This record gives sequence, C-alpha cells and structure tokens, in this order.
Amino acid sequence: MKIRTMKLREAHTAADDSVCSILWASDAGHIVTASSSDNAICIHDASAPSNAPRFLRNHSEGVTALALSPNSTCLASGSLDHSVKLYKFPGGDFETNITRFTLPIRAVAFNKSGTILAAAGDDEGIKLVNTIDGTIARVLKGHKGSVTSLAFDPKTEYLASLDSNGTVIYWELQSGSTLHVLKAIAPNNGSDVSVMNILAWNQDGDLLAVPGLKNNVVLYDRDTAEKLFSLSGDHSQPICFLSWSPNGKYIATSGLDKQILIWDVDKKQDIERQKFSECITCMAWKPEGNALAVIDAKGKYGVWESPVPSTMKSPTEDIPGFYSKNSNGLLLFDEEEPCASGNLSDLNEDSHGDFEPIRRKRSRKHSSYDDELEEDVNDELETVPKVETHKKAFYGHKENLSGKSGSRNMMITAGAKMQEAFQPGATPAQPGKRHFLCYNMLGSITTMEHEGYSHIEIDFHDTNSGPRVSAMTDYFGFTMASLNENGSVFANPCKGDKNMSTLMYRPFSSWANNSEWSMRFEGEEVRAIALGSGWVAAITNFNSLRIFTEGGLQRYILSLDGPVVTAAGYKDELAVVTHISPPLPTDEQILEFRVFNISHGSQPLRGRLPLTPGSKLTWFGFSEEGQLSSFDSKGILRVFTSQFGGTWLPLFSASKIKKSEENYWVAGLNASKLFCIVCKSPESFPQSTPKPVLTLLDLSFPLAASDLGADCLENEFMMNNMHLSRIQRSIEERADSGLDCTLLDDEAFTVETSLDRCILRLIASCCNSDKPVRATELVKLLSLEKSVRGAIKLVTALKLPNLAERFNNILEEKLLSEKKENIALPDSKSNCNGSIKPEVASTKFFTAEINRVSETAVASRVHTFPSTSNTRARNAEEPTKDRNGNIEESKSMTPGRTADLKATGKGNGVHNAGEATKATKVDQLSSSRPSNPFAKSSSNQGSSSLLDSLKKTKKTDVKGKV
Amino acid sequence: MASASDPHASAFSAAELEFLAEDETIEIVPNLKMDALNFISGDFGPFRPQIPAQAPLWLAVALKKRGKCTIRAPEWMSVVNLTQVLEAERDSDKFQPLPFHYVEISRLLIDHARDDIPDIYMVRSLVEDIKDVRFHKIGKGLESISAGGTFALKLKNLSAMEANIVRPFVTRALETFYKLGSSDMIQETDHAPNRQQTADRGPRRQLKDR
Repeated sequence: MKIRTMKLREAHTAADDSVCSILWASDAGHIVTASSSDNAICIHDASAPSNAPRFLRNHSEGVTALALSPNSTCLASGSLDHSVKLYKFPGGDFETNITRFTLPIRAVAFNKSGTILAAAGDDEGIKLVNTIDGTIARVLKGHKGSVTSLAFDPKTEYLASLDSNGTVIYWELQSGSTLHVLKAIAPNNGSDVSVMNILAWNQDGDLLAVPGLKNNVVLYDRDTAEKLFSLSGDHSQPICFLSWSPNGKYIATSGLDKQILIWDVDKKQDIERQKFSECITCMAWKPEGNALAVIDAKGKYGVWESPVPSTMKSPTEDIPGFYSKNSNGLLLFDEEEPCASGNLSDLNEDSHGDFEPIRRKRSRKHSSYDDELEEDVNDELETVPKVETHKKAFYGHKENLSGKSGSRNMMITAGAKMQEAFQPGATPAQPGKRHFLCYNMLGSITTMEHEGYSHIEIDFHDTNSGPRVSAMTDYFGFTMASLNENGSVFANPCKGDKNMSTLMYRPFSSWANNSEWSMRFEGEEVRAIALGSGWVAAITNFNSLRIFTEGGLQRYILSLDGPVVTAAGYKDELAVVTHISPPLPTDEQILEFRVFNISHGSQPLRGRLPLTPGSKLTWFGFSEEGQLSSFDSKGILRVFTSQFGGTWLPLFSASKIKKSEENYWVAGLNASKLFCIVCKSPESFPQSTPKPVLTLLDLSFPLAASDLGADCLENEFMMNNMHLSRIQRSIEERADSGLDCTLLDDEAFTVETSLDRCILRLIASCCNSDKPVRATELVKLLSLEKSVRGAIKLVTALKLPNLAERFNNILEEKLLSEKKENIALPDSKSNCNGSIKPEVASTKFFTAEINRVSETAVASRVHTFPSTSNTRARNAEEPTKDRNGNIEESKSMTPGRTADLKATGKGNGVHNAGEATKATKVDQLSSSRPSNPFAKSSSNQGSSSLLDSLKKTKKTDVKGKV
Repeated sequence: MASASDPHASAFSAAELEFLAEDETIEIVPNLKMDALNFISGDFGPFRPQIPAQAPLWLAVALKKRGKCTIRAPEWMSVVNLTQVLEAERDSDKFQPLPFHYVEISRLLIDHARDDIPDIYMVRSLVEDIKDVRFHKIGKGLESISAGGTFALKLKNLSAMEANIVRPFVTRALETFYKLGSSDMIQETDHAPNRQQTADRGPRRQLKDR
C-alpha cells in the first residue's frame, strides 16, 4: 500500500480539534464545509477550489452538523447555538430557523424525500421536523447521552441513531417507537464532543454500519439488528467517521489514528489507505466519478482523487435500480416510501392536507421525468429551492405561481391535483398585509385581517366618476369578492361548524336604504362568485350555481356538472369554468367553460377550456369588448373567437416577450392590449400598496420564427384579420337584428385598409426575400382594388415582370367575379340603409322621365357631374322630393337597371377583346366596374360608383344628347 | 423678465426658467378618465385610470394638486442614479449628463409630489449636492478663462439654471477678451450695448412662442 500525502486547503480556522463536516452537492458542483469552532458555513465551488467560497454566517456559534436535502436544493445546519437553520442551495440564502433546542445540536439528517428533517444533540429527544411547514412531527426520546449521528433508512421506515455512549437505537418512523436498542456497541466517548460516533445505512438500506469497539466497523441487519459481519484491519484506534460509497460497494472509514481506509464491503477487506497529519472528522464521496472529499479536525479540507484503485469498480458505478448515475437523491424513490411517509405525515394533522399528495406526486413525477431530470436536474431543480415549496404550500395559493421556477415548482408540489377554485384578480392572503380580493379594470377590493376581523376597502381607479364607497369592517372573514360599477359581492368559505358560508351583496347606489343583503348557506360552501348587470352568481361546493337578482331575490338554482374553478360576469353574461375530470397524469387540467345569458336564460357557449400543458388557469374574464379570455400560469392569454365554430386563439405569450424574469399578472384586456401588472420575479402577484400601475402589452400571436424575418408584419396581418372577422361578425349580428351598422362599416373599412397596407408591406418583404408564391397568395388576400394596383406597381418597380403578370391576372379575375356579384347586389341590398335612397330615387326618376334609351338614362343619373345641365338640376330636385317615397317603385326599377348594366358590361367585354395588351385590358375593365366595391357602405356606393364609371364611358354621348 | 437695466443680472429669472421647464414631459399615473388633450406642443393622452401616460410637467402638477394623478419620478431621480452621478461629478472635471432642466424639475417635483418620490429626503439632498458640486466646478472653470484669455468656452451638459447664472458674466468676459485681443475692435466700444440688447430679446421672443 502506497502512502502519499494529500494537500489540504484551509476552510475554517480551528485552534483545537473540532468537529468539521463536509458534504458534496448531488450534482458534484459544490462542496459544503463547516466546523464546530467557526460560525460560518462555506460553500465551495468544486470545479474551482481556488475561488473564494461563499460564507453563510447565520449561526452565532460553531456549526456541528450539516445535511443536504436529497435533491440538493435545501441545506440544513445544526449548531452549538441550539438552532437548526435551513438555507436555499446552492444560493445559500437563509430560509428559516426550522427548529430550536435547549442544548447544542450534534446531528441533522434529511429523509430521502427531503420532507422530514431529523435533528438531535445534547437534548434528550430527537426531533422530526416537517420541512414543509416547520411543524414538529414527533420527538423521539430514549437516548441517554447526546445523539451524535442520525441516519434515515433509505426505505424511510426506520431511523437509526447513535449516541456518545455508543448506544444505537432503531426507531420505527410510523409509530415512533423503538424497535431495537443496541447498548454499548460503539465506542463510548463519554462527554468528549470532539469525537463523534457515526452510523450509516448502505444505499439499499439493508446494512447499517456502526464503528465497533475493536477499531473495526460492524455491520448490522436492517430488520433484526443482528450483527452480520465486521470489517477489521489496519485501524489502530477507534473509527470516528465512515461513509458508504454511492453504489454501496465500498466504505471509507477514518480513525483517530489519522488515517482513512477504503474497504471493499463484499470482500470485507481494506483496499486503500491514506495518512493525514490530523484526524479526519468527516468524509463525503463525490456523487459521480471516483473521489472523496475529506476535512480534518483543524478545518482543512481536500479532495482525494481516485481513492478506489482504478483497477476496481468505480464507487459510483452500478448504482442499482432506480438510482441515477449521479445518485441524485430525488430519484431515490422506493415503492414503499410513499406509504411509510404518508403515515408519518399523518402524525401531523396540520400538514396532512398538503403533505401527502405532494409526496405521492413527487415519486410519480420523478419516475416519469427520469430521463429529462437527469439532464436538467442540475440547473432546474436547484433554482427551485424546496423551502419555497414549503412557503407556497403554506399559503396555499399554488395557482398564483407563474414563471419558470414557479411552474416547475408547482408541478412538483401540486402535481396532478385538481386546481382549486379561485377568483380572478385576487392575490393570496399575506399575514399582516393588505391583499386584493378583487382587482379589475374598474377598481379593487382589498382586505386586511386585524385581530379577528377584517377591514375591507373598495377603491375605484377612476376617482372622478366612480362611486365613493366607505370602507367596511368584515366580521365574516370574506375571501372572495367581485366588483362592478353597481355593486360588490363578497363571500366567505365555512370555517368549522359555527361559521357558515355567507354571500353578501353591497350596492353602491340605490334609491332605497338598506338594499344590502346577505345569504347564508348551511352545510354548503361558496367556492366562486361573479357579478353582472342586475344579477349575482355564486357557485358552491355542491356544484350548484345560484343566481340572485340585484335586490336579493333567489332567481335560479342550476346544477353544474363539475367542481367549479372560477367564474366571471360581464353585463348579461356569466362564464363559469368547471373541472370535467381529474387532471391527466401529464398534469393537464381538464376544464370546461360555459357562458350563460342570465336575462335570456340561455347558454350560448360551452366547450373545453384549453390550457398550456402543465399549467393552471390563473385569470379568467371578459375583455372590455366582452370577449371571453383566459390566462394560464405559463403566461399564455387566450381569447375566444367565433371563427372555426368557436375556438380559442392564443393572443399573448409571456415567454415571447419575457425580459429579465418578469411575471405578468393580468388585470384585463381590450381588443389590442393586455393590461397587466408587471411583477419582478420571483414575485408572481402584486402587493396592494403602493397601488400597482398597469402596464399595457400588445397582444400578439405566438408566431413561429419565419424565414421571412418580418414577424411584426405577419403578426399585424393576423391581428387585422382577426379584428376584421370580429367586426364582420358583429355587422352580421346587427344586420340580423335590423340595427344600423354604419359605424361598424366604417370600422371595418379602416381595418381593411390597414390590413391591405400590411399585406402590401408583406408582399414587399416576400419579394425581397424571393418568395414569389407567398407574394401571390398575399395579393389574393387584398381587399381593395387600389391595393392590388399598388402591389402591381410595387413588383414592377422591383423588376419582377413575372409576378406583375400574375398579379394582373389575379386582378382581372377579381374584377370579373366582383362584377358578377355587383350585378346581383342591387336587388338584395337596395333597402339596406339610408345612403341608397337618393340613388334609388334618382334611378326611379330617370327611368320615369327619360326611360327610353338606356344610354340617356345612365347619363341623366349623373347629377353630381360638374357640368350640370338644367334637366339635371331638375332631376336633383325630384329625388329629394321622392326620397322618402316609393321604395316599391324603385325596387321595380332595379331590374331595368340591372339589364342596363349587363348590357354595358357585355359591351365592354367585347370592347376589351380587341385590346392588345393585358394591362390596358385591366384598366378598361376596372373603369367599367365599381372602383371601390368593398368601400364603406359596400353595395350601394359600389353601385353608385358603377354608374359613375358608366357615366365616364358615356360622357360624350350625354353631352351630345343634352 | 429680469430688468434690462442691470447688465449683470441673468437673462432669465429662476421663475421664468421654471416656467420653461414646465414644458418637459413626465410620466403620470392618472386616476381619472380623460380624453386626449391636443396642445400646440403635441397631443397627450388619452388618460385612463392606473395606466401611465406622458404629460407636460405643468399639467402633471396641476392634476397632482387636484389629487387626480400620481407622478412617477423620472429614472434619473432615483437615489441609485443620483448617487452615481454625484460620485462621477466629484471624480471627473466634466459635467455628467443630466436633464437640461434638472434643477427645476427636481424642485417642482419635490415641492408638489413629495409623496410620489421614494426617499425624498435622500433625493433632495443628493440633488442639492450635485448642484453644489457643479456650481463649484463652474466657478473653478471660469477661473481658467482669466488664465488663458480664450474667446470661447465649451461647457457640455450644462443645465439651464447653470447656464443662466454664468451666461451674462461669461459672454461679457469673453467679449471683453475678444475686444482686447483684436486691436481693431478697441475703437468700436459702442457696439457692445447693441449686442447685449439682442441677447435680451432672444429669450423674450421664445417666451411668446410658447
């Protein structure tokens, strides 16, 4: 056996011999050291040991014990100052004082899932602390001396502990009882605290290694606690530390004789040794590769590369079963474990609710994410400190998390749990702080609990016009609220038997006093509430939807077919989201939405509510125009559209614009903007003070990165298309109900022109990047003839004659088809709106007066023509008289006109046939057709301009006749 | 307007400069709904509650006085930025880039929007310190004129208030140097008052424009 010297570097200064600890993070990237004579914990970068370590100086006295949670996201330390502290890892941010003792701590240990932390020391009990919420699950009493080592069995059934008198106790975690007490089997150190006895399970949990009395290591059976065999050899003094290699094949032991021995457990033989100048108090195997980190009693640490000779199996090779290569603790799950730990969590009533599903979830998640975890566990999971899960679970508002770390976190903790009911625009309760019960585009309702009752304030954003509402004191403890112009509604869940669920409505202005009302639900609990014009809706845990009138009349009670998620109201419409079934194992919530029209008593819409996989619904409501919208925890906004028979369009993606880890908390939206509050990550929701300021974000489709490189244009194109289709739909609706739609027509025209402008620019960029096919497709989408001409001009300027010809053809086809349409149009639309009347009247007039020759008829129609003759002046008077008159007559006249048009059209066609070049042909064609068939008041103007153009062609004739 | 009779007085009074500074835009968060305002200087708004909008300082102050908005302190008025500026100002001979009307804007905001500026006392003392350092620097810089006898002086990033204070002295001093330097000019002593007048007229015209 070779004897080499190892260079150690100083991490902690220690005058006397002290107990130092060392740990590897599960990704092997960090080494953590501590010393009982130094209050600092050092986190060293394993790859760059010369870098200055990070110091955590939260303890006031020396640190005696360290433990890392199996996924290396949480570091626990025990100290002589009697406290056990938790830190985020590898960041090192101090999290919490998880527990305190009356005497110094000597040992801490995490269980395999990291949910329980065992801590013990000179006190008589071993405390099992729930890391989720910091409650003490159990105190195990039985040791006479100070406990120096704790080890959870990897199957999480037992806990083994060893005290300074050399007594080993097996504890059964489920019941907390002692299974076996092995007295004086390990060296008795008495009250000497500079030497710690140690014990350790192998990675299967079937062997427990304890230092023996004969300078050896004794291995005990898992269940019977019988002595199986011992490893004895070259240690000349008692063993003070031992550590199993990650694959369980080797044990490293360090003795008071200042040497480390590496043992092959199967051969029961020492295979390697190393001498040091000081006693090694702690060792840790590198989770991957072949290295051992050691720290001596003077606080100097180092890494022993290749402690296992390279001819033998690596200490991390063949990690059996579900063990990943890097022995990540998170993956160390066992079938029995959920059951055992579930039982343990039963000990603690408070945590029960959160605890068990989380655990079960974890194990499942990890088996399914195995492969992917292996890669991203290092970066991803470390950004999700487990203690954060503890916090969030504590507040019980998982649905409010968003952002990368948040959602990841959620997947781990909340998992395939059905999303709980929430109110849109509410923030989680924070003790001692005001929080939002409701925040919308109108105002906010905030509440703060104070000595048993709450103080509720209602503020409107617009202080000018909004009603002034006095603050109120709330003895019910309302947790849900909704707000609109007319009033506010509140509800509270039932708390125990005494406090039943109450619904209260508070109008802001009413002609009668005492128009406030409240309803109480016995045995039923309100889960979600919504408010509309003249109605209040409450959805309860019995899946019943109760609708009340503004005055408090119980109007309808409907049964829903699933537990409610949320509800929102807008004027007459109530939208409710319910669960259809439990979420898929891939963590997709299965939700359904339905929209009720309260005043009509109808249900216009119903369908599945899409969510991004792995996300939850975080906001649901109506846009200012009344479009149904949803926002999920992955930051995708979806808006309902009637296109394709009613679908959801993703109109915003936080990940597309996310800069520097911002979270967007939605307050509302309108047709083109999203109103949200920007929260600096990790905050996922705003505080109520100072008053949050809304940020406007542009809605945009999550487009794929196209080869065109004109993403903005493409987005504009799609947005415009969407607006156009929405406007056209509302025009149809209004026209159906016989309402005037000129305003909408104007709007449609504006959108159309901007759409055309956008298309033209897209065509330009298509031409520039040589995509002629796409350009041709775009030309077909142009709606105004002028724009098509513009496109032709554009491609001509770009010297693309090929395209220009194609565009010309398209234009030609368009014109022809439009002409056909136009001919048919006057019949159908003649009495559509007012603008047609003068025309119709004049048509009637000319047909009555000069009905003989069609040419002259057309000519006389030209009353706006500059060179007005006397006859025409007379004509102009006539129509004004007849304007309100006989539409029947005008109708009867239209066929005649149509005939005329047909005639002229044909004539032109013949004429064009003779034309030589295509371009002129097109010109000719267009001159004989409406110049702007899609313009504002489409058909009527179209026909008038049609006549105008006819007028041009016949101008000479007219002059001759007049 | 400062009296033209006193040739040493500044071209503008501080109040006039403040008046000019009120045309600078600033971000406000209104708590009322108001249609867009069309001014000669441009259109502002529409204003919607809780949504930040740009507005001229005078409008912001007027709304603030009525409790209709909160003013968002500009970025450069943060403690962090001002501390940096102060340090840089102390370290280098150059003037740090600050808004042209920083003295006036900070004064207006500190007077009228104290509750909207975080760490107002810190901000105020920092602005005061910066102002002092810069004035001191100007004073030192002016000494160099007498030493060198230059005809022109380049002062980059000088703010309105600072320029206003040194303008009469510097222009006159430089003029004198120029006159003394070029022998032809010695005779034409009567030319100077004219120039002074034109200098006075300029700003007046500017006032009317607005």
